[in-house]
Amino acid sequence: MTGAALTAPVSARRALWLLTCLRLKRLGNQVVALYNRPLGRGKSRPATAGKQRNRWVVGGVVSFFMLFNFGNLTRQSILNLHRALDLSATAAAGSGNARFALPSGPLSEAMTRGLTMELTLMLVVVVLLTLAARELSQPDWDLEWLVTLPVRTPVLLYCRILERTIANPVGVVTLWPAGTLIAWISGFRWSALLIGAIAVLPLLVLAAVVRTLVDTGLRLSLAPSRLRNLQAVLSVASILLLYSVMSLGLPLPLAFILGWARDFPSWGCWLPTGLAVRALNGGTVWAQLGLGVLLVVEVSAALWAGVVILTQQLSRGVVAASSRETARSPAIESNAAVAPPRLWFLTAVQRRELRLLSRDRSFLVQTLVLPVVIVLSQFVLQGRVQGISVLGVSNTTIASVAFGIAAYTLMLSAFQTLNSEGGSLWLLYTVPRSIESVLGEKARLWAALALVYPITVFVVAIVLKMRVDPELIGLAAIVLLGVPIYTAIAVSLGVFGCDPLSQEVRTKVRSTYVYLYLMLAGLYTYAIFASEWWQKLVFIVLSALLAVSLWQKARDELPYLLDPAASPPARVSTSDGVIAAMLFFVAEGIMAVFLMDRGHHLSGGALLTAYSSAGALTYVLVRYTYWRAKTAGVPAILGAGVGRAAGWGAVTGLGAALGGVAYLYSLRRLGLMQDVMSQSAAGLSHSAWIPLLAILAAPLFEEFIFRGLILGGLRRSLGAIPSIAASAAVFAIVHPPASMIPVFGLGLFAGVAYDRTKMLLAPIIAHALYNAFVIAYQLNP
Amino acid sequence: MIEFSALSKCYGSFRAVAPLSLSVARGEMFGFLGPNGAGKTTTIRMMMGILVPSGGHVQIAGFDCHREGPQVKRRVGYLPDSPIFYDYLRGREILQFIGEMHGLTRAESLSRARRLLAELGLDEVSEEFAVNYSMGMKKKLGLACALIHEPAVLILDEPTNGLDPRASRDVQQRLRRSAAEGITVFLSTHLLDMAERLCNRIGIIHHGELVATGSPQELKDRVSVGGTLEEVFLAVTEEADDPAPAAPAR
Repeated sequence: MTGAALTAPVSARRALWLLTCLRLKRLGNQVVALYNRPLGRGKSRPATAGKQRNRWVVGGVVSFFMLFNFGNLTRQSILNLHRALDLSATAAAGSGNARFALPSGPLSEAMTRGLTMELTLMLVVVVLLTLAARELSQPDWDLEWLVTLPVRTPVLLYCRILERTIANPVGVVTLWPAGTLIAWISGFRWSALLIGAIAVLPLLVLAAVVRTLVDTGLRLSLAPSRLRNLQAVLSVASILLLYSVMSLGLPLPLAFILGWARDFPSWGCWLPTGLAVRALNGGTVWAQLGLGVLLVVEVSAALWAGVVILTQQLSRGVVAASSRETARSPAIESNAAVAPPRLWFLTAVQRRELRLLSRDRSFLVQTLVLPVVIVLSQFVLQGRVQGISVLGVSNTTIASVAFGIAAYTLMLSAFQTLNSEGGSLWLLYTVPRSIESVLGEKARLWAALALVYPITVFVVAIVLKMRVDPELIGLAAIVLLGVPIYTAIAVSLGVFGCDPLSQEVRTKVRSTYVYLYLMLAGLYTYAIFASEWWQKLVFIVLSALLAVSLWQKARDELPYLLDPAASPPARVSTSDGVIAAMLFFVAEGIMAVFLMDRGHHLSGGALLTAYSSAGALTYVLVRYTYWRAKTAGVPAILGAGVGRAAGWGAVTGLGAALGGVAYLYSLRRLGLMQDVMSQSAAGLSHSAWIPLLAILAAPLFEEFIFRGLILGGLRRSLGAIPSIAASAAVFAIVHPPASMIPVFGLGLFAGVAYDRTKMLLAPIIAHALYNAFVIAYQLNP
Repeated sequence: MIEFSALSKCYGSFRAVAPLSLSVARGEMFGFLGPNGAGKTTTIRMMMGILVPSGGHVQIAGFDCHREGPQVKRRVGYLPDSPIFYDYLRGREILQFIGEMHGLTRAESLSRARRLLAELGLDEVSEEFAVNYSMGMKKKLGLACALIHEPAVLILDEPTNGLDPRASRDVQQRLRRSAAEGITVFLSTHLLDMAERLCNRIGIIHHGELVATGSPQELKDRVSVGGTLEEVFLAVTEEADDPAPAAPAR
């Protein structure tokens, strides 16, 4: 029997072309799929339109901020190097223009060495970060599949390195701004972006070669358990080195980093990083070209050598001993004989989580060690903490260290709650528990673990101070309250930021949500540093509200997690109220600025116009958005039972008014806050518009936001009493401190009126009555 | 016991499952057959609440699978086509965890876990990490997870896929025993002979549509007396692919 004739063998060039096209197409599809655009048209099964999210907006905004921040850091680091290496000590310390100007034109030899050192460190960081981010212990299914093709191994390896060169966002974000700035100071202007990209491209190739050598070689030599340990070490090393590099870009860089720059050897300028710097700053075109060619030759040689080494390694097989063979050891049987401690107070989910944490060293280091390294590195490298003794001096430093460690712990644990399930997420869909309840149990566990760090920090601080400081106790309460709040925020953002359908480890977590979490955690530090108690209260209450609203949104998302096409139906949620409130106050502020007179005063009529316009704009925008999305449960002003609603409004309004008037009377009798009361009365009597604003406009718009949206959203998750109390608290904190207490009372009464009638008419009447009585009392005490 | 009412699933303009209406009686073993990409796994995932139906609904023991998930899952044991387990947990630990998540006490979970592991031939590897299991071992472990809480309904997606003949026989024997105990079994499979041996009734799905249902004998008689299930399968799927030829022009 004769078989079919064999096809001609594919040439190396053709194979390289086909594989490169395949990789690029795959990369392109990944990028498109990341932002849920329809992939293509045609009669064959089209990809779904995906979930209805504006994820690309969040991604675009965060990417812009990341590039901007790295660019800023790079600029500052060049400036710091210039001051340390080029300027005299007097000029560097003085206030002249030379101190703030970037170098330009040909760089000095010292500056060239310094920039080479910085670029070299950046390159090492890029390699370490990409190695630490990838699951080294997982089998390289990609390579295992590709080696079955009738293509020589070196061709496969060249393609792999090419893909890793292009698909290296960490490398691009880290190296491209540096290359661009060096090109700029060398005299390139608008072409600096392109020239900088061309200059760092060989460095990205070098990073891809080193990374491939390391991870492929390691996979062939080490057992998976050792690989995970190594990954844990790489995580810590990469963070330490990253912060060392970043410290160069701080206003006060550390002396030892500048010392490294100063002592960097001259021969280092012949390394690829040095050649890149010299090529950009070559002076003449021929010098630049010559150095560029030399850079390409060096990197090509490294690439060739890397491929030769890899081919040699892979000639002994693509797969080393698998985890099955290496895991079968007597140690497992002996471990089974040791009974684990009975943690009866933990749930099954929490016990499982702790068990996984104790066995996975990489996870353990990442979750419990890295946060300490990250936060302490930030403080040490910024020169703000010279030693542990500082914990006995500055209360705000203590509190920010404590909260910082907890926040990072939560980022690496609670944020990963869903992602850590990995491919086993299907198991949670088979048990008679909601995913929300499972996430809640995990969140409680991680909150408890995260609390250990701030408690330890505060205990150490008290021991060092040798006394209990009331201010410190207050800050401790703020930090300890912030931990459960930010646990809920981290878990919620983790739900949005996780893609359980993704096959690649790299794309399972969307980094934009990581940065969003860090930004929000950073905002909470205002509660630590704010000088007034009511400002601290505002941040705490708003953070708590944010946590509830995000949890609610995440909970809506959970049933649709493994469905690539469906999205939760649109419903009014607490976050809508938070966004509407922010929009309202921002719009009012902007309009007020436009309506101010030349003396920067706002008349009563202008204030009414600004307030009413902002309220109307918010109202219309929210209504329109709900109409477009066909949202359920949109609050209505009128409905069935108008008379009953009016009655409730009147009764609760009179109750709130009585409370408000009693409060004002008490203040007058006790002689408290009289200057504030006088100013308020003067303002009210100055213009007839202001009472009109307070009685007609304010109730309409504020009740829509605080009762209709915020209370209505909270009622989906909480009972009547906590919802009414929470919405009243939020309502109170957006008012001046002097009026917070009676306004809180109004919030409670109006909340009850809305909850009982489900009609905005009731709280609007209550609010209007309250304002009318309070204004009348202030004008006629 | 299982009631499909015009259950459908669309991905954009692509219809993965056409409106499906079907009933599976208590104690019945129902085989869900179909070519690759026919919609079997999509249907099963809708039953487990993993996918949200685009239309219609499916009820198990009177509970809606999408809206009353926890009630359904108390009564259902599920085995996916490719079960994946946690890296650093042993087979016994995973099984115990699932048992506790179904409301069993620790002692009861452990007792049932040991019994099921022995029954399915996994007792020797029960203290190994599940990530080190072969495909067959993972399938068996997944079946054990589906059985530990003694459900009234079993939903199995390709339960013998990837198993060697001995393991496949063991699984089939276990399923036969479950059916004899009155458990309702809904399984999808490519193996026509297994479906013919085990199932009381068979449904054939093609391009998302249920094109044939009936007992194996009824289906075989539909094509020809004494025909095989394979002939039935090929015939109904070809009918669904090719419309009736047009009358010849005169």
